[in-house]
Amino acid sequence: MGQIKLENVVKSFGEFDVIRDVSLTINEGEYVVFVGPSGCGKSSLLRLITGLEDVSSGRVWIDGRDVTDVAPSERQLAMVFQSYALFPHLTVADNIGFGLRVSGRPKAEIREKVLTTARALALDPYLDRYPRQLSGGQRQRVAIGRAIVRAPTAFLFDEPLSNLDAALRVQMRLELIRLHDELKTTMIYVTHDQVEAMTMADRIVVLNAGKVEQFDTPIALYDAPANRFVAGFIGSPKMNFIEATAERGRRILTSAGAVEISNLKAPLSPGKVTFGIRPEHLGYDREAGLWKGTILVEEQLGSDAYFTVDVTALGTLTVRAVGERGYRRGDTIFLTPDPARSHLFAEDGRALTAPASNLSNSQQQSAAGSA
Amino acid sequence: MTSAKFRPRDVGPMVLVLAFVFVSIAPLLWMALAAFKPTADIIAIPPVWIPDFTYLQNFQDVLTQFWPFIVNSLIATVGATILALVLAVPTAFALVNHRFRGREALADWILSTRMMPPIAAAVPLFVIFRGAGLLDSLPGLIIAYAGFNLPFAVWMTMSFVRRVPKELIEAARLEGCTWWQVLTGVVLPLSKSGLAAVATFVFIFAWNEFMLALFLTTREAKTFPVVISSFIGTGRVYWEYIAAASVIQCLPPVLFTFFMQKHIVSGVTMGAVKD
Repeated sequence: MGQIKLENVVKSFGEFDVIRDVSLTINEGEYVVFVGPSGCGKSSLLRLITGLEDVSSGRVWIDGRDVTDVAPSERQLAMVFQSYALFPHLTVADNIGFGLRVSGRPKAEIREKVLTTARALALDPYLDRYPRQLSGGQRQRVAIGRAIVRAPTAFLFDEPLSNLDAALRVQMRLELIRLHDELKTTMIYVTHDQVEAMTMADRIVVLNAGKVEQFDTPIALYDAPANRFVAGFIGSPKMNFIEATAERGRRILTSAGAVEISNLKAPLSPGKVTFGIRPEHLGYDREAGLWKGTILVEEQLGSDAYFTVDVTALGTLTVRAVGERGYRRGDTIFLTPDPARSHLFAEDGRALTAPASNLSNSQQQSAAGSA
Repeated sequence: MTSAKFRPRDVGPMVLVLAFVFVSIAPLLWMALAAFKPTADIIAIPPVWIPDFTYLQNFQDVLTQFWPFIVNSLIATVGATILALVLAVPTAFALVNHRFRGREALADWILSTRMMPPIAAAVPLFVIFRGAGLLDSLPGLIIAYAGFNLPFAVWMTMSFVRRVPKELIEAARLEGCTWWQVLTGVVLPLSKSGLAAVATFVFIFAWNEFMLALFLTTREAKTFPVVISSFIGTGRVYWEYIAAASVIQCLPPVLFTFFMQKHIVSGVTMGAVKD
């Protein structure tokens, strides 16, 4: 139970296409995150799945059943809203049991299920309270309780944590991961926060301007972004991009000299390209390196330091230096990209590089951890 | 008040305000006092300023002779209020929460019917009611009053329905509610205060309505305001009855508003969505 399939889904408001021909299959029990910049259509896509918005064309399937023309109330989905959307005139118990009551279940059963759910979410002391008497975190729990009590086909979360403070957000994130492990129900989670996406998802849908840019595991998005947009969107701080010209073979020419690319999918043909290198894959040194620059800004986090480096011919590049404390603003620094972890994108944004096969598993793990 | 200090230049405006208040309140005051006076005292010169408040003959006469018309008024008013709400609430709910072709035009058209002066409708209404056998009947009056108030009631209700957060309606639909269940289970409880306000307005309009009642009723369904006007006869003006009846006429709206006020509480939707 819980397979969701979108087939050539389009949603237009008048002339404007919010969702442009999206096809994807979310497997049963999968935790999928829709991520993208604001206005990319991720919430719209979620609403199309719920039926709160009608598709302009295309089909929506849930568990092999075409639900395109089925009312939201018949789709057996549960949604947790960013604003919680609790019923203010009902107590916590009535909020959680709302769906059960609507479907006309016996009172005893409702009471029992509500109590079990409330216990699981540590809400049992608050069953008689009203939403206005709860804290933000508690309200969020009630909203989650209302979703899980009905045992729906899939859970949909629309930026559920963005109204919580940072500490609570991290805690709720862990609870949601635990909840998914326990329930094994399909979950679709919408967020603009790539850290939430990377940490929670089995697979991530990266959306941009109503189109799916890439649908893959977090590691794959990080290691092998399909295009320049995904490369720039996933990863923090952002990947550095350098405009360059491809020569034949493996060489590209930047305004600060030539670079050999070792992990190309195919030999280059001449033309404009973009060279991409993540801040954590730029080696740095005081004495020697490929590019010489000056540190403009030093952001010290303790665990990491981020340097914004001005390399005269290339513009500014960001370097992530793990545990580094020795550099100061104004220092001269030499940067060298890791050739095995470089990315190259064609003029249309398509990736020309593949993750180097010599990356060991442990290296991949650490890359994911640092994302 | 930050300063209660008397300043000479305030005297002018103060006198003006007092004069205005006096002019506004004088007829009401005259009416209230006259209600407790026998006819002779009302027209006496020099005037009898303070009546004997134990003199209740006027009220007794009006109530014993004309109570059926007070009942008519009550039935027409309460009926119209209920009918207007019953029709306005689903209409407003649909106009706010359903997207369909011509929605805005429909809403505007409903409002535009309000722009027609009731007198323009009186004659056609008379003809229609005569044909339908609704002349001089309470159901007829209820329909007419509810009809005249519907545009206003719909628009006012729409503004309250619109205040119910959209997410609550969507959440209810995803929880399996039909539209009807969304309306009764979520929207109505959350717009209670707004509906109380709408009911108050319709009630006051219907209770005080005079012109339609004059046109559409003759004996059976005559309402109290029409009766009051009939105290001004060709031969004699029954000032004492007019005064007493007017006092009676003033009471229900005051009581109704007072009662409804308790229900018009703000902050009902607090805690529904993020603060």
